[in-house]
Amino acid sequence: MIRLQTYTKAFAAGLLLLATAACSDPWEDHSSTTDDNLGQNLTQRIVSGSQTSDFGALLEETGYDAILAGSKTYTVWAPTNEALSNVASEALASDAAKRLFVENHIALTAVSSVTEADTVTVQMLSNKYLEFKNGTVMSDAQVVTADQYASNGLFHIVDKALAPKQNIWEYINATADNKMSSFLIELDEFNLYRRDSVAKANAEDMPGMFADSLTNSFFTNVYNLNNEQNKYTFFLLQDDAYDAEVEKLEPYLIKSNEDSTTTYASYFAVRDMALHKAIARENLPDTLTSKFGVKIPINTDNIVEEVQLSNGIVYVMSSLDVPLETRLLTTRIEGEEPSGFSQDDKRGNTYYREKEDPTGEMFYDIMVQNHGEPLFAIYYNANNLYSTTYQVYWRAINDIQNNTFSQRLRFGGTFQEDGTVADPIATLDYTDVPPNDYQERYIGEFTLDEAGMLDLISLIAANTGSAGANTLTLDYLKLVPVIK
Amino acid sequence: MIRNTKHTLRLGALALLLSLGSCSEYLDVEPKDQLNQDQVYRDVFDADAAVVGIYGQFMGLAEKYVILNELRADLTSTTYNSSPFLQQLSEHRVTPENPYASPKDFYEVINNCNDVLKNFDLMRADNRLDSNEYNERYSDIGTLRSWLYLQLGIHYGRVPYITEPVENLDDVRDLNQFPRISFEELLDELINFTEALPYTDLYSTNSTLVIDVDGYNTGKFFINKECLLGDLQLWEGNYQQAAAHYKVVMETATGSGSDTERFDTYRVKYADIASNNDLAVGYIRYREQDAQALVNNNNQGWRSMFSREPDALWNTEWIWSLPFDSSFAPENPFIDLFSNRDGEYLLKPSQHVMNLWEDQTQRNGFPYDARGSKFSYNIINEQPVIMKYLYNYLDPATQLPVDVFQRDGRWHLYRAAKLHLRYAEAANRDGQHRLADALLNFGLQGEYTVPGQEDVTDIEQTNLPFPYNFDARQGDFPYYRGDWHRNGGVRGRAYLERAPVLGDSLISIENNLIEEAALELAFEGNRWGDLVRVAIHRNDPAFLADRVYAKLNADGNAEASAVRTKLMSRENWYLPFIWNDEE
Repeated sequence: MIRLQTYTKAFAAGLLLLATAACSDPWEDHSSTTDDNLGQNLTQRIVSGSQTSDFGALLEETGYDAILAGSKTYTVWAPTNEALSNVASEALASDAAKRLFVENHIALTAVSSVTEADTVTVQMLSNKYLEFKNGTVMSDAQVVTADQYASNGLFHIVDKALAPKQNIWEYINATADNKMSSFLIELDEFNLYRRDSVAKANAEDMPGMFADSLTNSFFTNVYNLNNEQNKYTFFLLQDDAYDAEVEKLEPYLIKSNEDSTTTYASYFAVRDMALHKAIARENLPDTLTSKFGVKIPINTDNIVEEVQLSNGIVYVMSSLDVPLETRLLTTRIEGEEPSGFSQDDKRGNTYYREKEDPTGEMFYDIMVQNHGEPLFAIYYNANNLYSTTYQVYWRAINDIQNNTFSQRLRFGGTFQEDGTVADPIATLDYTDVPPNDYQERYIGEFTLDEAGMLDLISLIAANTGSAGANTLTLDYLKLVPVIK
Repeated sequence: MIRNTKHTLRLGALALLLSLGSCSEYLDVEPKDQLNQDQVYRDVFDADAAVVGIYGQFMGLAEKYVILNELRADLTSTTYNSSPFLQQLSEHRVTPENPYASPKDFYEVINNCNDVLKNFDLMRADNRLDSNEYNERYSDIGTLRSWLYLQLGIHYGRVPYITEPVENLDDVRDLNQFPRISFEELLDELINFTEALPYTDLYSTNSTLVIDVDGYNTGKFFINKECLLGDLQLWEGNYQQAAAHYKVVMETATGSGSDTERFDTYRVKYADIASNNDLAVGYIRYREQDAQALVNNNNQGWRSMFSREPDALWNTEWIWSLPFDSSFAPENPFIDLFSNRDGEYLLKPSQHVMNLWEDQTQRNGFPYDARGSKFSYNIINEQPVIMKYLYNYLDPATQLPVDVFQRDGRWHLYRAAKLHLRYAEAANRDGQHRLADALLNFGLQGEYTVPGQEDVTDIEQTNLPFPYNFDARQGDFPYYRGDWHRNGGVRGRAYLERAPVLGDSLISIENNLIEEAALELAFEGNRWGDLVRVAIHRNDPAFLADRVYAKLNADGNAEASAVRTKLMSRENWYLPFIWNDEE
């Protein structure tokens, strides 16, 4: 009934209205706008604005006047005429530069100064991301007049032009005379790993979403420094500092020829120099940890130059000495992640286990039991090994048998036609695995003459077919590089 | 009711309009989509329609039943998607406008039950139903009504006990017309009524209600009356009578001509380690040390009891289960409730229950209970997701919906493991600690056997009078196969180490039973009742308050201590008995 009554009233009111006001057009009165601002589009308002007329002229020159007269919704951070006059001339040197400059002031979305978030990251038409803070600061420009509106969006007047910045990769390309920069650019062509060439081929075949991050071996393996959507910190070493780091690593990255040795030593030196997230100078800690787990000591006194870029910060360093002790990483191989077995019909005897040690710590390991094959072997592989001596440790847990059994490790070698493995780099002695020993044990050592991947590490069972004696078990292997 | 008035008024206006014009026959047309009073309750088929109608409406309570019984207790938590009303339930600070707290939809079903019961009486009086037909149907609906009242009592404490149809449902709130009685008085009323019902068995197999319809056999749609009687007596503290009722259900297949049926039905059978065609936690044979050899699919092992087609094996576990089908109303509410893939993801397992599972040790040395992270919940998208209702919805390998429109599922109401735990609770309270411990842990045969003795004539049985008599003998010389020889115990079936008995047998075993109920029956809607019942029997509110505290505390809820303090007084266990007119 409530509803009926409401309708009745509305109906009666409508009738009354029609009867009394038939001469005017109240609906037209109601819906027509009285706000002149809404009668004008962004172009008209900016061009006619006394503070923004110069920027308006630039819009007309670059053709963006037509775009800002369109029906999509835009936000423009329009610099004052005074601000525009202070812009460095090279930022407006060519038509392309002018267009980029204008694009860096426009966003294809409505961004009001009134929001709940204190910082809004805005994607500009230039594809750069700028931060709009508290509705008062855009990038490094102060908002003079906020929230001016037009029929197709908003504009804010700012006291400084938002000249587009280079990103880190553009900066590296612009400083190609630096040795480290030139090495990074070389990685456009050079493939560090087999997967890099696949990635580059894909980038050419399928220029799509991720293509950009596949074009350079540094992008694929470390970070895509050309990506505007993330922020990075990058330490660019001056030539002497760079040479010192590469030289230090060369003995550990010996390859079949000297050129490769230098390339890989260079890569291992630079791969730890990029960090995810931009870290401001005042927030730099003494030690940073790279993506690969290398601890890098930072001495801010060695910062020669600090460059703010569109996707992060580059610190040019006169010296950045990473000691070998932290640079060379221990390789850990998980027992439950084998690459293969000496024969593949023993799945039923292969246990991937989830257990607890006596301290209550969870561990995951592999155990192969009662397989009946003398010298049965589990295969592993390891990447990024250094040309040095390695000390080998394992944690092998024998918890469901009462007897001690033994197993051994073999590094390297190649398969023969009869399935045996010839010419291993090293074969360690059989080592006992006593029951209920949960400690990490030192097993022996081996030396690699060449750095790189070791694609055959074998854990070999005792030479007997009897159950219980030929068991294999492995929680993990630890390969600790020895400093020469 | 507003709506009715509205209709009446509109109809009135229409009638007036029509009567002003001159027409006569208009008003005598019978509506084609509705029945008149004289068109219903004519024969047994109408009576069946009424029964099915009640159960259809009853299924609408599934979501509320699970939410109230789980979220108020300690095994289920809210997610970032949950509404403030759900958080209120979890934190025991329910406001009157909370829709989950309204008892109205329970009373809607109760009122319909009352109406149906009244009409059954009328039908019996003028012989539209014969006495068998009447007894079966009357007892079924009567028991279902008692079940509903038991739930109301558990959640609201003081409720009006109404057994006659009410014209205006909103009057139920009126204290003058319908005075509220305490939970204890309610239990007495329910026991008096339900025990007096003329028929306590299942519908007979030739009943017109036990049929296959749309691919579902209706046999397990209906409430098991002995189970409810057992529950009522257990709540009341009549432990031996409770055990007796439960025992009747446990012996359902005794006397069956089929060995499989006789030895397996409701007996919590041990694992079939060779074939894994069982309802047990198991690993592929000889690969018990391989975590990847866990039997984890929709057709074998413990998980399959929630996902398999209702086949012979399913029938050995499920006592009461109602299916939801995407083709018919009501819609399955559980996918929205639990799934984070095309669901609302409103409830998740609490950290507390995840810890409980992690604290167990399996018999292969693995430091967890596979019923936890492997079965009852999974981590999907880095979020813990309750899986018991989703096995047929999410693809086992990809954990993506097989078909987002295929939302079949089940309301899991009563099964053998719950029956055994409840029976053990009653037996334990009645002084039969050894028997209770055997059913909880590794089964009867293991408990009552004598190692090395080949002649089992005098062993492997309890040698106790009903309801504690069990024969679990299995011997070849002389040959024995007792009805209970396959019982493996609830923890035995779950492949766990036995739960130790520490200190006082009664308290320790009861603690073990209630903890086991969490591990085995989590998210099936039993938990709040279990906590309330034991807290009442022990006269110890801390039993309940501590567990709710443990949940909130493990979830990092700052209110945990305050909630514990609140729950230390029993009147705060109950929801406000309120609903709003608009509902």
